[in-house]
Amino acid sequence: MKPSTVNDPRRTERAPGLSLKMRGMLTAWLFVSPTVAGFMVFFLGPLIAVVFYSATEWNMLSQTSTFVGWANYQDALTRNPDFWHVMRNSVVFALGLVPMNIALALALAMSLYRPFRGVVVFRTIFFAPVVTSAVAWAIVWKFLLQGEAGAVNQILATVGIDGPNWLREPNWAMFAVIVTRVIKMVGLNMILYIAALQAIPRDFSEAARLEGATNWQIFRMVIWPNLAPATLIIVVITMIGSFKVFDHIYLMTGGGPENGTLVLAFYIYQQAFEFFNVGYASALAIIMFFIVLALTLVQILLRRRGSL
Amino acid sequence: MAGLTLNNVTKKFGAVSVIKGVDLEVNDGDFVVFVGPSGCGKSTLLRVISGLEDVSGGEIRIGDRLVNDVQAARRGVAMVFQSYALYPHLTVEQNMGFGLKVRKVKPADIKTRVREAAATLKLEDFLERYPRELSGGQRQRVAIGRAIVSDPAIFLFDEPLSNLDAELRVHMRAEIAALHQRLGNTMIYVTHDQIEAMTLADRIVILRDGQIEQVGSPRELYSHPKNVFVAQFIGSPKMNVVEAASLSAVSEIGGDLAGVVSVGMRPEHLTVTQPTDGLFRGRVSLSEYTGAGSLLHVEVPGSGTFLVLQNGPEAAETGAEIGLSIEPENVHRFDANGLRIPSSNSLKGET
Repeated sequence: MKPSTVNDPRRTERAPGLSLKMRGMLTAWLFVSPTVAGFMVFFLGPLIAVVFYSATEWNMLSQTSTFVGWANYQDALTRNPDFWHVMRNSVVFALGLVPMNIALALALAMSLYRPFRGVVVFRTIFFAPVVTSAVAWAIVWKFLLQGEAGAVNQILATVGIDGPNWLREPNWAMFAVIVTRVIKMVGLNMILYIAALQAIPRDFSEAARLEGATNWQIFRMVIWPNLAPATLIIVVITMIGSFKVFDHIYLMTGGGPENGTLVLAFYIYQQAFEFFNVGYASALAIIMFFIVLALTLVQILLRRRGSL
Repeated sequence: MAGLTLNNVTKKFGAVSVIKGVDLEVNDGDFVVFVGPSGCGKSTLLRVISGLEDVSGGEIRIGDRLVNDVQAARRGVAMVFQSYALYPHLTVEQNMGFGLKVRKVKPADIKTRVREAAATLKLEDFLERYPRELSGGQRQRVAIGRAIVSDPAIFLFDEPLSNLDAELRVHMRAEIAALHQRLGNTMIYVTHDQIEAMTLADRIVILRDGQIEQVGSPRELYSHPKNVFVAQFIGSPKMNVVEAASLSAVSEIGGDLAGVVSVGMRPEHLTVTQPTDGLFRGRVSLSEYTGAGSLLHVEVPGSGTFLVLQNGPEAAETGAEIGLSIEPENVHRFDANGLRIPSSNSLKGET
């Protein structure tokens, strides 16, 4: 008969000095260590550096750095009128983009969440811009939105509308970048809404229909309230995304005309890499970090309250 | 309140025919249960009656009114869904009053009618709660309450108890039966559970493959099944049906055996005897103790396995040789097409 493994002295000798729990933890840490290392090097490190830079007056050209404390923040929040202009633009961009994006995403999802012949083709068409290169998208739209030569204005001309020079007129440029951004990103929210709609049991709308509810009542009183958790997430991620928008503005308007589309992320880039005010740009980055953090906290709090 | 008439009702999904010409008369105040195996079309038929599915052919009348082209909400029916379909964001009171609210009934009237229904179902203490805060049985009662509030001519139940545990199912079954007695409305109830069908129904409609196999009272279906399918579907454990030729003692059963191809014997009608005394003999291959008795699986040479219910604490042991006997009037005779042949011996009580 073979000796019991538990009492095998050779096994006892080979056993490491760590408890089972410690060994489990060690294994877990080994598995997560690549991610933790990446987080430290590419996120936490730069974040700490930015916090440090934000308290300095550091000019990249002269390579001189002076500790200035809160001065950069004070400069942004109380002295520099550009900052509030930029903030206003960012808020206008977000308030224009978020409702338009969500309304369109919901309308598309309502049309495409039930199966019918060709539904996958339609979903793909509306989702394709999300995975299209932002550079290609912006360049193509820049061509389409040119003054008289642009395809958009030529189409408008066929119905007797004299379209503006979309990206060159301050009042229209913001509208143009919002709409083109919505078209690019709406597919993502559409997919999220499709998933949420498919999770609502069909019995709900059937029960409501049997009780005499119209289609609008079914949507307003049954479907919309049941979409609330998805809507909350969609609003927050779209809002955060809109505050962080950079590539779209950089490629389509460069913040112009007359700083009409100069939004926060692009303003930070300008200050750091065009005007080389790294300290001031870092302070702006920290302010943006807190704006995004606040939006995220609102999301978490609302979700915990279970009200949405 | 109203009765229901189905006249050659058909339902197709594309090329697939799910309901194949159903004729049925449901009297005002009847409790009718649609029962049948999975995929027989019972839920589809209920949805066609409700208006949630369009009818492909035939006529549906509620009372005297032809409702083929009438919207679901205007047919005067209310449905209790298998999933309950309670709106999770509304309280019990709001769920029950939903139908009245969308029909723009005055809030005071809604409140009165909801309170009345809640009192009927003993839900007064739960009106402010949300569905997630209720047990399965309470949710089921809310779903029924929502149907009551809309004051329908006909109640439709789509497997309403299948999500409940066995004990609660028995309890809710009794509550639904009591509710029917109290309200007196026509009720149509879909289930695949034949015990539910037997205990609740005034009349049972047995469906198979989109067609009605037999309509009758539970007693009629049990005693006088029209064919082998009904005979085996009604009754638990199911009826033993064997080829008549395989039983050497079949002639001793008596009666006119002309045209008899198979015979059916219910497990509860077979009695265990000494091996030498029975009409036929076999060996117990399995003995399942059920408390009140035992379910024996008996291998009868040439005929296969017989199920036998033996009452009482004593049971034949596995491996034992036993005899089986049956009263001739309890033997069901079927022809080559599986249709029941009435015989003098098995016509007790048959008209």
